[in-house]
Amino acid sequence: MNVRQRLGAVASALAIGVLAVAPVSAHHSSAEAYDSSKSVEAQGTITRVLFKNPHSFVFLESTDAQGQKVEWQVELGAFSSMTRSGWTKEMLAPGMVVKVTGIPSRAPGSHGITNAKFAKQDGSPIGPSRSAQ
Amino acid sequence: MRRTFGGVTLGRWLGVGAVPIALAVALGQVLPTAHAQAPSGVKLPDLAGVWDGTGRARPVNSEKVPWGPSNFPVLNERALAYQKVFDEALSPKYDCQPATPPAIEYDPYLMEVVQWPDRVLFRYEKDDQLRTVWLDERKPTSHDYGIQGFSVGRYESNALLVETTNFVFDVTGFDDYNGIPSSQLKRVLERYWREGEELKVTVTVEDPLFLRRPASYTARWLPTPKGTKLQAFDCDPETARLSVKFIPPRYK
Repeated sequence: MNVRQRLGAVASALAIGVLAVAPVSAHHSSAEAYDSSKSVEAQGTITRVLFKNPHSFVFLESTDAQGQKVEWQVELGAFSSMTRSGWTKEMLAPGMVVKVTGIPSRAPGSHGITNAKFAKQDGSPIGPSRSAQ
Repeated sequence: MRRTFGGVTLGRWLGVGAVPIALAVALGQVLPTAHAQAPSGVKLPDLAGVWDGTGRARPVNSEKVPWGPSNFPVLNERALAYQKVFDEALSPKYDCQPATPPAIEYDPYLMEVVQWPDRVLFRYEKDDQLRTVWLDERKPTSHDYGIQGFSVGRYESNALLVETTNFVFDVTGFDDYNGIPSSQLKRVLERYWREGEELKVTVTVEDPLFLRRPASYTARWLPTPKGTKLQAFDCDPETARLSVKFIPPRYK
């Protein structure tokens, strides 16, 4: 699986898209764990999904440029908030190959993403329709 | 000798009377029957219902909300010292310890209010918390300390006034975004009132161990569609702590 990781000072380009799953459940400050001045993109296969409160998580398996396996941990909002916005468990399920863009985690060597936007391999967005949000 | 009252034996009186008394006692446990705590002539504000405090109603909480440039608390030296050494990973929310006043009122979730004659119940979707505001003039005892404190209240000028004391020390008890603690001397005053279809609150916090003067914010909730129910939060300890590893460690 190809992985593209682009880090740059393009926070404005990431300004919460329609399908972004920001941790708006406000359990904690995402600024402590994620660097909103940067962006990251990853592609891989969903291996595990935790639809929970206070935050949901999607785990993504991919490989880096050196061919090493990498597990991305994508932080979403509280599941109670997500369902209210129209998200369902079927939208993100193990086995799906997805592309994720978002804000990268801060800790050196970590592979975390938040404020995530999900898309299928063909680029079509994953998530509730605009009207459902 | 059998004593009679109006031709009815005492035993029968007691037997007949026991039923309604027992019913009254039983119902009294769940259906208080008088607005005993509302002074006569005082119009009670209708605060009951399920209210929407999500991003639809107000900006979601953050480092600058609800405590922004105009109302950020004036911290004393003790608070500044705590804030300086604060370590995000230490925050008890990462282990599902519930939010407390003055933060829980502003968390972006639903809240249900139930008004009974002797108490008002605030049920928060966030962290499945229930706060009871006693209207019967009871006082907290030395056994009534807790993270949500002990709340008493009264109706006044078409509003509900709530005073909460008896908190325990909480390392993020004032604000978990800015690492401001609160002490056992924290006193939270809330004023709830209706403004049209909206429910509004002004929350004021005093804490002489950490704040130089009281700080306050005002927020609103929107009504929810009929039939809306709070969901169980069921905070999951695993996911609550999952992002901590992404925080660069401050201490070894």
